This record gives sequence, structure tokens and C-alpha cells, in this order.
Amino acid sequence: MSQTIFTLKQRPDVPLEAEVLTPDVVASLSHGEVASLPLFMGKRQFRVDDFFEVNGSGTDNLVFHGDCGRVKWIGRAMSHGRITFSSHAGMHLGAYMKGGIIKVGGDASDWVGGEMSGGLIHIHGHAGGQTGAAYRGSMKGMKGGTILIEGSAGIELGMRMRRGLIAVRGPVRDFAGLQMKGGTILLMSGAEIRTGAWMVRGTIISLKPLKMMPTFSAGCVYNPNFLRLYTKSLAEHGFTTPVDAWHGVYRRYTGDTSVPGKGEILVWSGPAH
Amino acid sequence: MLRITGGKVYDPANGVNGVIRDVCIQDGRIVADVEAGRTINATGMVVFPGGVDVHTHVAGAALNFARAMIPEDHLHSEPFVRTAIRRGGISGATPTTYVTGYLYGGLGYTTVNEAAVPILSARHTHEELRDTPIVDKSTCVLMANNEILLDQLEAGETERARHFLAWCVGAAKAYGVKAVNPGGVTAWKWGKDANTLYELVPGYNKITPAGIIQSLARIVDDLGLPHPLHLHCNNLGVPGNYATTLETLKLVESNRAHIAHIQYHAYGGNDWTTMRSESTRIADYFNAHPNLTADAGAVLFGNTVTITADGPWQHLLYKLTGRKWGNIDVENETGCGVVPYVYKEKNLVNAIQWAVGLEMLLLISDPWRMSLTTDHPNGAAFWRYPEIIELLMNADFRREQIKKLPPKVLERIILPELTREYTLYEIAIITSAGPARSLGLRQKGHLGIGADADVAVFNDIKEARKMFAYPRYVIKGGEVVIEEGEVRKTVEGHSLLTQPFHDPKIADFIRPLFQQYYTMSFDNYPVEMERLEHPDVQPCTQANS
Amino acid sequence: MGGKVSCTLGEVKNRADLIVYWGGNPAECHPRHFTKYSLMPKGRFVPNGRKDRTMILVDIRETASAKAADIFLQVRPAKDFEMITVLRALIKEQPVDTKLVAETGLTLEELTDFAQRLKKAKFGVFFFGMGLSMTRGKHMNSAALLTLAAELNAFTKFVAMPMRGHGNVTGGDVIMRWTTGYPFGVNLARGYPRFNPGEYSTIDLLIRGDTDAVLVLGADPGATMPQPAIDHMVRVPTIVLDPKVTHTSKIARVHITTAVTGISAPGTAYRMDEIPLPLKPPLKSPYPTDEEVIRRIYQAVAKKPPLMPPVRPKVPRV
Ligand SMILES: [Zn+2]
Repeated sequence: MSQTIFTLKQRPDVPLEAEVLTPDVVASLSHGEVASLPLFMGKRQFRVDDFFEVNGSGTDNLVFHGDCGRVKWIGRAMSHGRITFSSHAGMHLGAYMKGGIIKVGGDASDWVGGEMSGGLIHIHGHAGGQTGAAYRGSMKGMKGGTILIEGSAGIELGMRMRRGLIAVRGPVRDFAGLQMKGGTILLMSGAEIRTGAWMVRGTIISLKPLKMMPTFSAGCVYNPNFLRLYTKSLAEHGFTTPVDAWHGVYRRYTGDTSVPGKGEILVWSGPAH
Repeated sequence: MLRITGGKVYDPANGVNGVIRDVCIQDGRIVADVEAGRTINATGMVVFPGGVDVHTHVAGAALNFARAMIPEDHLHSEPFVRTAIRRGGISGATPTTYVTGYLYGGLGYTTVNEAAVPILSARHTHEELRDTPIVDKSTCVLMANNEILLDQLEAGETERARHFLAWCVGAAKAYGVKAVNPGGVTAWKWGKDANTLYELVPGYNKITPAGIIQSLARIVDDLGLPHPLHLHCNNLGVPGNYATTLETLKLVESNRAHIAHIQYHAYGGNDWTTMRSESTRIADYFNAHPNLTADAGAVLFGNTVTITADGPWQHLLYKLTGRKWGNIDVENETGCGVVPYVYKEKNLVNAIQWAVGLEMLLLISDPWRMSLTTDHPNGAAFWRYPEIIELLMNADFRREQIKKLPPKVLERIILPELTREYTLYEIAIITSAGPARSLGLRQKGHLGIGADADVAVFNDIKEARKMFAYPRYVIKGGEVVIEEGEVRKTVEGHSLLTQPFHDPKIADFIRPLFQQYYTMSFDNYPVEMERLEHPDVQPCTQANS
Repeated sequence: MGGKVSCTLGEVKNRADLIVYWGGNPAECHPRHFTKYSLMPKGRFVPNGRKDRTMILVDIRETASAKAADIFLQVRPAKDFEMITVLRALIKEQPVDTKLVAETGLTLEELTDFAQRLKKAKFGVFFFGMGLSMTRGKHMNSAALLTLAAELNAFTKFVAMPMRGHGNVTGGDVIMRWTTGYPFGVNLARGYPRFNPGEYSTIDLLIRGDTDAVLVLGADPGATMPQPAIDHMVRVPTIVLDPKVTHTSKIARVHITTAVTGISAPGTAYRMDEIPLPLKPPLKSPYPTDEEVIRRIYQAVAKKPPLMPPVRPKVPRV
């Protein structure tokens, strides 16, 4: 499969904005056209080849080499194709994404998959804050698609999300699932505090004990069999979950009663009997 | 010096109806002839006097409060990228001040009336208006819930009330007087409303909303203010409110009054499920009473934000939408509420509102007394006016739009029966000549000799939506500010104000009350004239009394 | 979603019968607040002044302001968000977990009583300080209190207002809004305003090292910001405009002495309730005003060739 390879020449001092670097824009362009696409750094406009070595002509398979942790907006609103980072990716990676696949070998910054509606983002390192979240003032976060994080994630994970799935293997900071209205968050190493605060609907599953908000009501302990479906689909993306997770029993909490909301938090409470 | 030649001129104030003639400009005024200077060839175009918006919300504490509440709207609105000529900014439901000027100018509008200013924050409003280029600006000061004024009315001190009001207009550097939900905003400060005109206002033993309305209309006329009382009736937006509106109109029978956003006050039914249009009843009364003028407050479908001094209405809207809500009550004077809102085509209530706005515009027979507004940004942003013009000029287009509404709406509205189509001459009246006359601005809204050289030149094409959205030329004060839809020059506008006569001793009366009730020093309360950009005092007909 | 429900300070003076200070110490930080606006003045509808009002203080420790309060509620550090969220549930008579409630440092009984007082007030007000807005949870703590205030309006009249720090912070906020549409955290690099606190807010930009120059006006970040932010100001050219030499001036490349606004330079200050006050300077200064310096810098920069090409490429909105 042919690729368009971007190798970062040097890490920029001031963050670069590269919203044009998506399969949707690049696929139909010649090598020269890709190299001359505009990038923005502060108040200045540059060309792609001012910062990247470009190999190959435009395809819908973009590969980034070098530390792109200070390159923002790659994969913005992409609808198909594939983007692979061998190292880190910058802010707003795959924001408004509609389809396709993004894979990050290193870490990603804040706002990964902000307001995305479809597609898959798989981060092998850590993710920053506001993953799959709504932009400021907006009522709707992630509306579909899947975000998988092998490392840790920052605050406000899945803030105001409506649909879709976020799974995090590492620890997650405060306000996971804040004001969530739908969709599913899987926390494999738990989260710090205020998980599910102000949630209206949707499901948060935690394999580790959680510090609960006082505005959740503890309910029954049971084995939700829909978890098997999730584990299966996660495994298809190479995101493995322990066997205990889907055999286990869970304590079900509902809330947040301050809204009042009908969200649910399922906390693993032991292997099935 | 400038000559616009070959264009079809529509100048209703001077009875000119589509006549090809030259319009000449010198020193910012319309003149009979010029000998040199630039000539604009307007062949195949129409020439209008610059637009005048009689009721809009473009500056001040309430609008600025709203701006901060809707970052998501800014994010999806058209950005204005900075160029050598114009500043950067944001469009959308609450454009930033510079963009407000560019957008109004870009529609051929050259004068706007900011309809709701508390005295306490008038300085803020004027600071924003200073940063609003191209257009001339007037303001209306909010008086119907001013507690010092209400105290005077309660005590039967009508003469003192008049002096006090005149002093307030002068202190706020305002042009006219606005009454919003008389008595209702005061009640709201206790979480209540004034739903009927004859109930006592909470905290008072004598005064009722009806009494406040009559007193204010009379005072405004006695002072000879060029613009009549600018009245936002009680029960805005509530099903069945047409009865309140009719009663209100009867109250001001022996005075002049301008009824703001009349669309929001012409509903029948008992609740949201039985709501229907009562535009015919309001229009019939209105048509028979030449003391009245109005503006439409029309609604268009889409995202916007509602901002009004009508706090109780905004709380109701918040409960209905379950979305964000902002509110600021202003000590002793007024309040203000902010609720982001989406008017949906498929929503029964919204569809009725859309129809009622157009019905009012079509049923009020005298265009001179009915101005085009959306109560920006309440019904829709002002930059969507061309869409309304298309709906008024093209009955076929209107029918197509009606087909998209939920069928249930058809039995609640009369719009499908209305066949009237506005002419260009009538559009020139409702967008310029009429509102200028209603505001009492003699220099505005016409192209007679001596008028301010505010002119809009449009392509003479069939689609009104396109024609009015992209003027070929806009001239403000004799300067070409817009050419081919682009900002070419950003002139500063004038601040239009009045200084009605008041007994100078009234300040001694206010000072102790002020110290008792307010939290600002009395000397800081009036806005200094130096803070206004090009102040332009307009005469009152009554020099003193 | 809640909202922002506020009023001018005169409304508090004339009407408020319940005054709640949250995470602030007005007795020491805003000494005139009690006497001018909130507690002491005799207002139109609270003619007996202090006697007609109840004051509640919520804070993590018993500060000097507690002496002025009728009720002091000691919340455990970083539990404000939980406490406010519990109150939101209680005013709607929704269930809460008694044991977890106790972790806020207050019992369910105490919070139920507090919720009742909030609902029964005729006109209530929350004044909140940095003890709320700058502790763990930050903007969400403020959002929680603003939402609680908005929701209380289903029962009575209630408002909430931040107690800002010193200087004309509110004025900056107000003017940013009318010129850019956003209150703070605005990026103008692309020729139009963009807003994203966390990404474009000063402290975050400095800590990440995202800027290659810093202009400081009416602030002393060198005294208040965390070390990584200060380190960045040392690294890049930093220019300070200030009437006096500040901590930031000492690490800056350039310090320009300006006239003191309000004493020798005119202008407008916006009070915490966004009421504009004219500044009428009694003195003259040999130094230029901030405005004049900025204007001259701007004029000098405008002479340089533009950084962006005149025709900008069509790119998606970010
Ligand atoms: Zn209005």
C-alpha cells in the first residue's frame, strides 16, 4: 500500500498548525502539491516542506516520523484513510474526525478526537486532557467512533460525549465522563476523582475501585453481559482486556443525582462466582 | 464630491419611486449637483437611502454578557480575518463590535438604534458603540422599571417624574426612552412577573403596569422627544398575549408609541399546545390608529441567542429549553436575561412565530408605520434581513417555505392566505424611510437635498435575497465604505442623542436618593459628553416646559 | 447546563437577605465589600442593614471573615465541587450518599440545613473567591456554584458573582468580549479570534513554552506564576509596561515605565459586577500612558511588511 511519508525536520519552537494534513486533503495531490500545502506558525504562513521532508505523492495513508508533539490539528475532520505516527502527536489530533484510523506510537496531547463522530484513534502512549470532549461551550462531545489509549489520560475524558467508546488502560485523572450524555468509557486502571460528575446518561465501566461522587446511588451487583461484546470488539483492534473483566461481577451506581441524571457507573467487584 | 448616475432611485420620503436620476454628494450631504469628483455608474442598479434599524441590540452589558455565553456559536460562525482596512472579529448571533459595523454597512445600513440601555452601564454601551464603525448610533434608555421613577409615580409627582426622566436621558446620553415589560422586571427582582396590566406592581400600593405605560408615553410626548415611547409590552412571547397587547395599545391612544417586536406580542391560545396567530386582531387595531408605529421582530429558523431586559421571560425560556441561562439585574433600573435558542422549522411554536412575523409585516397596511427588524439577535441575526425581504417580495417563495412547516401549523396561522408582495418602494420604506421617520431623524432615510449622504446601491436583480445581501456600493456620510460587497473604508459613526429639558434643580433631588440606593458615586453616574464619538444632539420639539 | 446569573452590587445592597462568601476572605482581601455592598448597608428592602441579613462563610479554614459570619461551614480542602454538587441534589430533593457526603467535612444534616436556607432566602447571593476558582477542579468549581445559583431560581431569587483579584481584571475581560467575542484565552495569530482556555490561556502558553515573546501589561506574573512559566519568560524576550519595577521587570529584557492609570492616566475601570467607572486622574505624569506606548509599538510594527500573504489560502476553520 502506498504511503505519503512526512518526516519532521526539527521540533518547532512555537506550535505548528497543520489542519490540511488529512487523507481527505492530501490523497489527490501530487508530491509537489503536498509539499506546498500551507502550515501556520504563530502569525506566519509556511509550506509543508519548510518543516517536513515529504516522501511520495499524496495518498490516503499518511505516516509521520519525528516528534510531532507540537504539531496541532493533524487529521482534523478526516473521513477515511489512515494516519500513523511513529512518535508523538500534537493537540486536537483527529478532532471532528468522521472515519478512518489514526495510530500514535508515542503520546498524544489534549483534545484527541474532540467532537469526533466516527473512526478509530489508537494511542500507544499517554493522552492529554479533554480526550473525546466537547469544545468550550458546546453541548456535544464525541458523537461516535472509538478512542483507545494504552497509557494514561488527562482530565475531562469524554466530557459531554453522546455516543462511541473510549477505553483507557492506564490511570485517568479527574472528571472522566463529565456531563456525559451517552456512550461508554472503559477505565482499566481507574480514575482519580469526580468520575461521572453531572452525568446524564451513558455508561462508565471501571475495573478498579473508584472514588465515587456522593451524588450516585449504589445498586445491585451483577454481570452485565454486554461487556463481552465490548471486549470482543476491543480485541479486534488489538486492545486486550483481562479475562476477569468480562467474567466478573460489577457494582452498579446510578447518577448523577444532582442533575438528576440516569447515567451508570459499573465498578468491578470481583470475579464471577 | 461624488455623483451616482444612471441608477433607479427609490426615495419614498420624497415620493421618488424608481426614477432614473443622479444623486449628488458633497461634504457628507446630498446636494443638487456637483461639478467634479468621482462618478459611480449605477446603470442597472437601484439606489436606496441608507438603511435604518429602529430596534436592535448591538452593544452594552447585556449583549456583551451574551457574547461570553456562546463560544460554540462563535466557533461555527464566519470569521472576519483582519486586513489592512478592517479588524478581525467574529460574526454569528452576537458579532463583535467592529464586525457589527462591517456587517451593517455590508447590508447598506447606516444608522442603528440600540434599543436597551440601563443608565448605570450606559458608559459601557457608548464605549462599545465607539468601537462600532460605519453606522450612526442612537440609544434608548430603560425607564419602565426604574425605581426612583416608579416612586415618583406612586407619590403622584408626575412633574418631578418628567424632570427626572429628562435628566436620565441626558445622563445616559440617550436618544429615546424604552419601556420593557413595565412593572414586570421590578417584580422579577423578587422572582415574580407582571402578567396583567391592572395588578399592583410588587412593592407598590398604587402603581400598575398600565399606569406606568400611560405615564411614560405622556412624559415622552410632553418632552417632545423625536421618537415616541419605545414600548416592549408585557407578556412577551406568551400564548394568549394578544389581549394584553390590545389593552396596551388602547392605553396609549392619546399619545404616540412605538411597539417593539410586535411579532412576539400577537399570539392567541392558552398554552404552548394551543398557541395560534392573532396577527389579524393586532393589525386591525393598529391600522386604525395612526398614533402607533411598530417594528416586526420577525423570526427566522436557526441558531441564535435571545437577549432582553425581560428577565422573567428569559427564565421561562430557560426552563423550556433546559439550556444555558444568563441573567443580570441592574440595581434600581432594570434587568436582563440571556438564553441561547434554536428556532426549529419543525417545531410548532417556532413555526407559528415565523409566520406571525411575516403576517404582521403583510397585514399592517401602511409601510411607513412598520419597520423591518428581527429584534436582533432575538428573532435572528440582523445580517439575515435579506432573507426576510425575499419572503416579503415573493409570494411564491413564501408558499414554498410554508410547505416545509409541520401541517398542524396551517390551522393556526393565516400566512397562506396573504398574497401581498412588497414592492421595492415599500422595501425602501420599511428598511429606511419609515424607521427614520419613526425615530424622528430628519436627516436620515431620504435622499432629498441636505440629507445625510447615506446611500446604498444594489444590483437590480430578481432574487431579493442576493440583491440585498451584497450591495454594490454603500456610501456613509459621503464616503464610499463598501464596494462590491467588500469593506473599502471604515469611517467613524455619529452618536445621536437628545437633551430634553429638565429643571436643573432635579439633580439635588436625585443626589440623596442616589446615595441611598446606588453603589456608585453620583458624580460618576452621568456619561461625559467627551466619551461619545462625534456627538450629534437632535432637537426636541418642546424646548422647555 | 446551568448558566450565569448575576446582578450589580446595588441589588445586593438593596435586596440580599442571604449572603454567602465561598472560598474568599473579604474581611482581609476586599475590606470595603462588607460595608459598601453586602453586609452592613441599609438597603431599600433590607432597611435594618446587617440585622436583616444572614451571612454564611464557606472556606477550608476559619479566616478573619468568619467573625463576621452568622454561620461558618468548614469544607475540607478540594471538596468544594462535591459539596456544591450535593447541594444541587438536595435542593431538588434527590438522594445522596450520607457517608460520602461526610467526606466534605460537613454532615448531611448541616448541608440539608444549608440547602433549606438557600431556598428560603428572599434574595440570595454567592460571592466566590480564588479559594474556590483556583483550587482542584478550578473552572468546574466556579461552574458548579454558578449552576447551583441558576437552579435556585426555580425556588427564589439567587445570584452568583466572582470576587476578582486586584487591578482592572474585569475591564480586560469586558473589552476582550466586545472586540473578540471571548473573555480571555484568545489567540489572534490567524487574523481572527480563537478561544480555548488551557490551550491559549497565558499560564498554559508559558508553561508549554508556546510563545517566542511576552508582553506584560498591568500584571506581575513573575510574582504569581509557577516556576516553569517564569523560566520561559526568562528564556524569551519579555517586555513589561508598568509604573514601577516589578518582579517581572527584573527578569524582562525591557521595562517601560508608564503613567499610573487612575492617578495620572485617564480611562475606565470595570467593577467586579461590570459597572464601568470613569477614572479621572488628579495628577499628570512625565511618563506615557500604557495606551500611548502600545499605540507606538503598533505603529512601528505596522510599518514592517505583513507576515501573512495578502490572499490567504482556504483552509478549514480551526
Ligand atoms: Zn429588543
